[in-house]
Amino acid sequence: MLENYLPVMVLIGIAFAFAIGSVVMSRLIGQKKPSAVKLAPYECGMPLLSSVQERFSIKFYIVAMLFILFDIEAVFLYPWAIMFKRLGIFGFIEMGVFIVILLVGFIYVWKKGALEWEE
Amino acid sequence: MATWMFYILGAITVVATLLAITQRNPVHAVIYLVNSFFALALLFFLLGAPLVAAWEVIIYAGAIMVLFLFIIMMLEIAPGVEADRYGPNWLQWLPILLLAAALGICTLLLTGLDPVGSNGVPHWYASPRDFGYALFKEYALAIEVVSFQLLFAAVGAFYVGRPERKSKSPAGGDR
Amino acid sequence: MTEQLIMLGLILAKLGLIFIVILTLAAYLVLAERKILARMQLRYGPNRVGPFGMLQPLSDLIKLLTKEDFLPAAADKWLFLIAPGLSALTALLTFAVIPFGPPLEIFGRTLPLVVIDLNIGLLYFLGLSSLAVYGMALGGWASNSKYALLGSIRGLSQLISYELSMGLAVVPVVMMARSFSLTEIVMAQAEIPYALLNPPAFLIFLISIVAESKRIPFDMPEAENELVAGFHTEYSGMRFGLFFVGEYINLIILGSMLTVLFLGGWHGPWLPGVVWFSLKVLAVCFFFIWVRASLPRLRYDQLMHFGWKVLLPLALLNALVTGAILLWIGQ
Repeated sequence: MLENYLPVMVLIGIAFAFAIGSVVMSRLIGQKKPSAVKLAPYECGMPLLSSVQERFSIKFYIVAMLFILFDIEAVFLYPWAIMFKRLGIFGFIEMGVFIVILLVGFIYVWKKGALEWEE
Repeated sequence: MATWMFYILGAITVVATLLAITQRNPVHAVIYLVNSFFALALLFFLLGAPLVAAWEVIIYAGAIMVLFLFIIMMLEIAPGVEADRYGPNWLQWLPILLLAAALGICTLLLTGLDPVGSNGVPHWYASPRDFGYALFKEYALAIEVVSFQLLFAAVGAFYVGRPERKSKSPAGGDR
Repeated sequence: MTEQLIMLGLILAKLGLIFIVILTLAAYLVLAERKILARMQLRYGPNRVGPFGMLQPLSDLIKLLTKEDFLPAAADKWLFLIAPGLSALTALLTFAVIPFGPPLEIFGRTLPLVVIDLNIGLLYFLGLSSLAVYGMALGGWASNSKYALLGSIRGLSQLISYELSMGLAVVPVVMMARSFSLTEIVMAQAEIPYALLNPPAFLIFLISIVAESKRIPFDMPEAENELVAGFHTEYSGMRFGLFFVGEYINLIILGSMLTVLFLGGWHGPWLPGVVWFSLKVLAVCFFFIWVRASLPRLRYDQLMHFGWKVLLPLALLNALVTGAILLWIGQ
């Protein structure tokens, strides 16, 4: 039992120690001369022209939404893929219908221009 | 041992979720929520459903929370509005501790499954193969209904986020 | 008792070795990249520190450690602190499931050359790679700087888009190996690697992992001539170093996954398995560097179009066609 879970525990420990340790080291060793200008957001050498409060294209939202949908689809594909031999033709048609229905939505959104970034 | 792990994980989930809904900073709330989903995934793993655990991480923590982050970023909420003057205060490290605890239990789980079964596998263990077979054999109709739901969601998402007609996209459209 | 101690020693030695090898490899990959890029551009590359510049990674490390590590005044302190750690952590943890050699016989006992052989190893990899976006997204957002925010939003969008085609490209592999365990997937490729059996899936996966590694031609998150340095513009010192190392560890991991899933893992004639595995991973890393030297950066709309309109439908179609063919053969 020991040999089974020990490696992962050690790996996680090492990974945490590495991530925390290197930052702490750097904080201890590195010099510290903060100044107001140094701590200001970078603006290519200029004083700050505008804040980050900017609007983003709504396209990003649609991409994230479509990503969720297709991620769910992919997640349904995995258990099918591992068992598709035993599920046979029935499973294949089932999955085919599943994908085609989702593809209809994808093609609709595509044709409506949700995937266009130029305009 | 499994019972103890169950209670610890359950407590982590509840605490993380409570922290998520009491946070004022939305991105911090997202982090707590991811934490909570992670602990939930481990709970599923503990209960002998590794596939569902993986789904929980891939879909909830990896996809839906990313959408949340996107929305928060697009809603123009700048960080650091609340005063945190002297760097982080210690309460803010709680999620890391929670996550560390969850990960620690995860490691115990990966084999600590032993307490319930004789050969390291609880008797209610649903292997990915069995799970897939049952899902596609007995719930075939449900699968197709899910795909219709996804179709509606795609169309709905498009209409919510559709640009207004005859007007250019919002200032500085492409980024 | 002594048996257990020996076992314990073996495990610790294995883990220590894995960790040292990964970190050294990541450090020298940086050097190799600079050298190879320089040669491809008819320059010398770093050659001052030690013979052939071999000590360059060490001096880089010292430089990063002694640099000032400052918190921008406007940043969200807490997220700013943990983001680079998250990025390195997710990269390191992925290594737990990658089998890099056949089980080894030492002192009359078998030592599997993988940290843990999960029966859902492939899904573990996909799950962690979907969590890997948080380091970048939170780092960019917490910096409260416009370049960082732009970089992380672009990057988020890019990573999730290509994650889809990456996830779908492994479906044929699961179909052929009929397992999620990476060790079993490698075992199933003893005769012929899946890259030859299913070239479309291989190509889709390859392109997706180049995009996942955020490198040229897909380096939109940090496009340095548009966004200064993208999501890590505001980072300095070792925290920048963690992002940087995380990126190269990620490169090695993606190379290992390509090797495990499509190039037959440790299988190969004459040489021992571990050597074959390392050679394949290094070859993939060289390919990444080569691509960087050869290709220009894509425009953002081209990037998204390619991911959504070409790779995604292709990957779906490929999964279905593979299923059909396998069923037809099986009849």
